[in-house]
Amino acid sequence: MVPLWMYLVVSAGLFSIGAFGVLSRRNAIAILMGVELMLNASNLNLVAFWRYINPGEINGQVFAAFVFVVAAAEAAVGLALIISIYVKRHTVVAEDVNLLKW
Amino acid sequence: MISAELANNLLAVAPEILLTLVALVVILADLYLPAENKRITGYIAGLGLFGIAIATLILVPANQSLVLDNTLDTVEEQLLWGGMIRSDDLARIFRVMVIFTGGLTCLMGMGDRRLNYKAEFYAIIVIATIGASLLSAAADLVMIFIALETVSISLYILSGFIRLPVTPGQEAEQFAMRSAESGLKYFLFGSFTSAFFLYGLTLIYGFSGGHTNIYEIGQAFGAAGTEGFENVVTDTIPLLFALLMVTVGFGFKISAVPFHFWTPDVYEGAPTPVTSYISTVSKAASFAVLVRFMLAVFSPEELLDVATSSYSEWWVQLFAILSVVTMTLGNLLALVQRNIKRLIAYSSIAQAGYTLMGVAAIATTQAGDGAASVAFYMFMYVFTNTLLFAVVILFTNATNSETIADMAGLSRRSPWLALAMTLALLSLAGIPPAAGFVGKFLLFRAAVDSGLTWLAMIGVLNAIVALYYYLVVVKVMYVDRSEDDDVPINIPNPYPLVIGTSAAAVVLLGTFLITPLNSWAEAAGLDLFRLIS
Amino acid sequence: MELTWELVAFLGFAVMTLGSGLMVVTSSNLFHSVLFLMTSLFGVAGLFVLLVAPFLAAIQVLVYIGAIAVLMLFVIMLTRQVMSRPELYNQQMAGALVAAAILFLALLFVLTPLADEIGGDVAQVNAEVIAEADDAPDVDYITVEELGRAFVTRNGFVLPFEVTSILLTAAMIGAIVVAREDEA
Repeated sequence: MVPLWMYLVVSAGLFSIGAFGVLSRRNAIAILMGVELMLNASNLNLVAFWRYINPGEINGQVFAAFVFVVAAAEAAVGLALIISIYVKRHTVVAEDVNLLKW
Repeated sequence: MISAELANNLLAVAPEILLTLVALVVILADLYLPAENKRITGYIAGLGLFGIAIATLILVPANQSLVLDNTLDTVEEQLLWGGMIRSDDLARIFRVMVIFTGGLTCLMGMGDRRLNYKAEFYAIIVIATIGASLLSAAADLVMIFIALETVSISLYILSGFIRLPVTPGQEAEQFAMRSAESGLKYFLFGSFTSAFFLYGLTLIYGFSGGHTNIYEIGQAFGAAGTEGFENVVTDTIPLLFALLMVTVGFGFKISAVPFHFWTPDVYEGAPTPVTSYISTVSKAASFAVLVRFMLAVFSPEELLDVATSSYSEWWVQLFAILSVVTMTLGNLLALVQRNIKRLIAYSSIAQAGYTLMGVAAIATTQAGDGAASVAFYMFMYVFTNTLLFAVVILFTNATNSETIADMAGLSRRSPWLALAMTLALLSLAGIPPAAGFVGKFLLFRAAVDSGLTWLAMIGVLNAIVALYYYLVVVKVMYVDRSEDDDVPINIPNPYPLVIGTSAAAVVLLGTFLITPLNSWAEAAGLDLFRLIS
Repeated sequence: MELTWELVAFLGFAVMTLGSGLMVVTSSNLFHSVLFLMTSLFGVAGLFVLLVAPFLAAIQVLVYIGAIAVLMLFVIMLTRQVMSRPELYNQQMAGALVAAAILFLALLFVLTPLADEIGGDVAQVNAEVIAEADDAPDVDYITVEELGRAFVTRNGFVLPFEVTSILLTAAMIGAIVVAREDEA
């Protein structure tokens, strides 16, 4: 069987890729996609830990299901905000949103 | 006939059930009220929340069940809904705080003409308050995450709430654009940090051997390696890593320093009642869950059944450092601000820094003083900042400007407003008789008692620096002259109520109510140090 | 480690997830980004199946790919005129790359037995628990029924379940209010 750590490596990779996308992209929609990758990495973690560490209880899967709901709500609100700013300024480039600015 | 157990469970979430009802009433009222009366929805929400806060204060004693001979004494009995929430004094004190302040914010929203009396605004404020109220009680990773996101997502919406005006106008369009930008910025920062937070939670879930209840996790970490806990991670570094990732999420919500970048821009761009809500309710509820989470998950040895390992010293150091950086940077940057909302933003960063001092003290003062000082400080802070923002809204409505220099002559234009503003500023600066003095004193005392004297000294130095920029605003209001000196400022309804209530709270908390509130907070702190048997 | 069908499937889905993930953040065309996002999410769904969580895999496809990614596609089309900006990355691209690389290495260090080889005896980091978990206990499938019951029992997760319904209401109302153009 595939060992647990291999799943965790995939999740770590996905999380880091997502973080890179958030930090480096200019387009707000692309940043949102990076966040979605990060949330998926968390879900992968949850399900992998559930399967290998404590499969007797259901809580890991339930947690993952809740993450889906939150991700959906977050995406809906985020995209609405992006549309709102597009209507007002005709841009969706999050240049001002400079994450590393002091 | 419902069983006593079910009754206990329902009573523990009674505030949230009532809040949900208020939100529904507001949405329905909006459908059926004629356009000119839609403003009433603000009163429904605001007064409804006041009622619920008072009911929570009086009618729902935390550790008393409906059946009188059955008090909820042990931690197990306080953990309700399958361990999702813990109904204790800490939860109750923060619930009263956030629900009452949420009500004040609703009433405040009625005076901001740019919000156009939108019923959706009040409904979403009430929903955010449901999240904040549950967050104060949450005792399970799932519940913490959901409650935190309920607050955050509602606030993303509210920050970007202002629409383009129906009749075009340069200035109104400007406000709409700034609001949209602030909403997007808040959203991008917030979702990024909450992804870190969630990843940290999943690591904690895995490392603890697959638990989601924070008290079970704490016991598992403490007993790692012993019989029955073989599948718990014993190494320090992975746990510290998880701790750091979770701290990113909390740091964002309380705007502690490396995660504060969004604060000034969002505070400036969001509609002012929303800014007030972000700086009070959202921050207070996050402190409540931070205190509970740290004490439960990375417990100090006294709280552990079997203590083979304890990680509390790590986060004590972490939060002590965060506290120093946060208050120092917040105060220094506040010195150079010209916009009043940005000034309050940096001031609120500094205030979070002081409060973190209390958080660093919670593990080492066993009497629960640390947690008590955090609760007291937040209680007085939410009223002080609400008072401050209420005055700022009236002032911006009158002058159409947010610069501090334009506040000149406020004392002659409206002596009462100037007095209220002075009271709020003195409270933030920590000068008696305003409540901030007692709050700061309790924080410093908790820090000294837990051997963090150096931290308390840095705190005192910071308070002295902060005094300068608070007094500059007072000076501008009372000494400087402006052309409009003789134009009085209009105080529309329900602002007298908002300002009167919060000013009274600030004064009373600094005088007559010190002892009752402090003993309540100390009881809450002690509750946290109850062992799980 | 012998080459089992499970390992092959795992490697396939892992490459699919990470490879398309990389394409999401590097492709200059947002349409391509979204399509790669869908493949990446599909890879995660495949991993869920391998982890014996078929229900979650189904929601992953339905909710994530079917709803969220498609929603993004709509928004991209709605805001299309501004999509062809030449600069893909902001100025801190290099910093972001370094930060992400450090994050990845740190996570590897924390999460895998590889840490043993990297870290020596700094700490027996390998989180023995994780290193030894190469043989998951055999479990019965968690059925949809069990999950459903967990959502609605008092000692299960009914409280967060109800709160998510409130959260979704707020998100729905909010999204409409924020995105709708002003009423005439």
